[in-house]
Amino acid sequence: MSLDFQQIRDQVQQLGENAAGREKRLQGLREKAGALLESYAQDLEPLRHKAERTARQHDPSLRCALPVEGPLDGQFSILALPEKATLLAADGSQIIPDRHAEVEFGLINVGAIQMIYGAPQAPSTHVFSRLFYGDDLYNHTGALSEATIALRRDLGERKLLAELAAQADPPVITFTDGLLEIYGPRDLDSEEASEFQKSLSEYLEVLASMQELGVTTAGYVDKPGTALVVRLLEVALTPEIELADIKRLHPLRGVFDIDLYKDLLEVGARSPVFAVQSPSAKVYTGDLALHFFYINVGREGHPWLARVEIPAWVARNTDMLNNLHPILVHQCRVVGTRPYPYLLHRAHETAIVTLQEKEQVTQMITMELRRHGVNLLGLSQKQGLKDLPGKTRL
Amino acid sequence: MMDSIEIGRLLRATTNSFVVGCRVSQLTTPSFGALVRVPLEDDYQIYGLIHDIHIEDDGLVRQLVTAEGISEAILADNRLNRNVPVEMGVLTLGYRQGGRISHLLPPRPPLSLDVIYACSDQEICHFTSAGRFGYFRHILRANELPTGELLAAHLQQAQAAHKTCGDPAWVQSATRELIILLRDDYPNLISVLGALSDVLRF
Repeated sequence: MSLDFQQIRDQVQQLGENAAGREKRLQGLREKAGALLESYAQDLEPLRHKAERTARQHDPSLRCALPVEGPLDGQFSILALPEKATLLAADGSQIIPDRHAEVEFGLINVGAIQMIYGAPQAPSTHVFSRLFYGDDLYNHTGALSEATIALRRDLGERKLLAELAAQADPPVITFTDGLLEIYGPRDLDSEEASEFQKSLSEYLEVLASMQELGVTTAGYVDKPGTALVVRLLEVALTPEIELADIKRLHPLRGVFDIDLYKDLLEVGARSPVFAVQSPSAKVYTGDLALHFFYINVGREGHPWLARVEIPAWVARNTDMLNNLHPILVHQCRVVGTRPYPYLLHRAHETAIVTLQEKEQVTQMITMELRRHGVNLLGLSQKQGLKDLPGKTRL
Repeated sequence: MMDSIEIGRLLRATTNSFVVGCRVSQLTTPSFGALVRVPLEDDYQIYGLIHDIHIEDDGLVRQLVTAEGISEAILADNRLNRNVPVEMGVLTLGYRQGGRISHLLPPRPPLSLDVIYACSDQEICHFTSAGRFGYFRHILRANELPTGELLAAHLQQAQAAHKTCGDPAWVQSATRELIILLRDDYPNLISVLGALSDVLRF
């Protein structure tokens, strides 16, 4: 039975009917948030103290921006590109073990690309591939989960960047796609928590080694859906007497940070730098503390905002920040009408494992096992039926 | 002794023709109308003529075209690192086996990833002077190809090779043979001779 388009059509019509009213309400909230940003633009210290106090006294899980650079509605225009810099980008992909497959295995593939900005030479690519089979598919708490494989992939990306950065000519700028912090299980008592803690410690060491090397590192978040500055404004807006309820209070819900900065930032400009108030702030401390800024990588008449996460050692170093900012804008311009850092896309191309490659690896393992007389159960009947021709997968 | 300039590897083949893939960095050697060879096993090799050089695009290349300026490093990255091969169509002309050149189609085509080499002057002379230009019929039969241009490019390359090999009269014999083969196809003959007159110096 395929999708019941009649049911979907009714629901689509319904959302269309509600959309105009919702959009009008959101527009009102966006204007209110914009006015708040302007009115609090110079109140960096009071806002910071209020947010920190709220987190300390009322909501330890509070996740919002902390002002470190002002004014809040200010912008920093693009500066000249550095004459020369080593640029490094990494990305990763994975194959999740599937017990229904012909043979159960996992794989992480990390790709990195290195380019000397200002030199005509072609960039060089680096790939690290790691197969998990048999006992490798388990840790001491059980079978490897999707989250654990993703965590190993993320750690692999960062380790590869640090290794390459150590051999590269300074100044070195590295970027990865997405957040700078790595994510693990939310439930710290879960079976995977110990592996996450171990990986996190390794990651912090990698970050620290990058700092020692004087590397500028950043996480690039395309089309960010965060509301960290908006949440700061919500805290600012809330009277002291109601702060105890801040967890439930979201007067600007539906407004995102990019709504605030979309019309404020000129082409190529960046927002002020913010620190992050969040539970993970306890982990990323001192020079590793997480910071971010927004950047308009679009064109005239076509603004496009990205969020750039940086550690404290970059946020506090004007030279690093002033190199990273124009390099990111330049990298996005390389790709023309779809502004996204060229090297990040190339790292993705380098790292991606295609379906065809997955099938080839499956075939290689199957043949090798059969050559050694290992009997394989083969595809599950369920998967076999799903793979029958005549029905395409979404 | 033959030169061994590798120009690519085989992507797909039939007995009539094959397609070669190469990196952009290898593209300086092969040219339209050039004679190439595919060594297989013990003294068995297939000869063919490059009739098409095809450069594929992909999503990123199409996207980069929209950018205002493309730096040398980005150009080099796309030409050298990215997996977008240049494809060359090769028309099979004959083969060599047991030391003998044949202008018949080969018993079997080359296989995937076989290496394709550009022919040296000696190789060109050896292949083109064997028999009585029997390989011309493969070219003339390929209606979908720009026959006149292909023959002109081939004869130009072969003429230069034969001069080096001490046989400057080869090109006159080749042209006479083409006139004989095309005597009943006047429009095609005029087209071929027109193309030849643009490039050949007798």
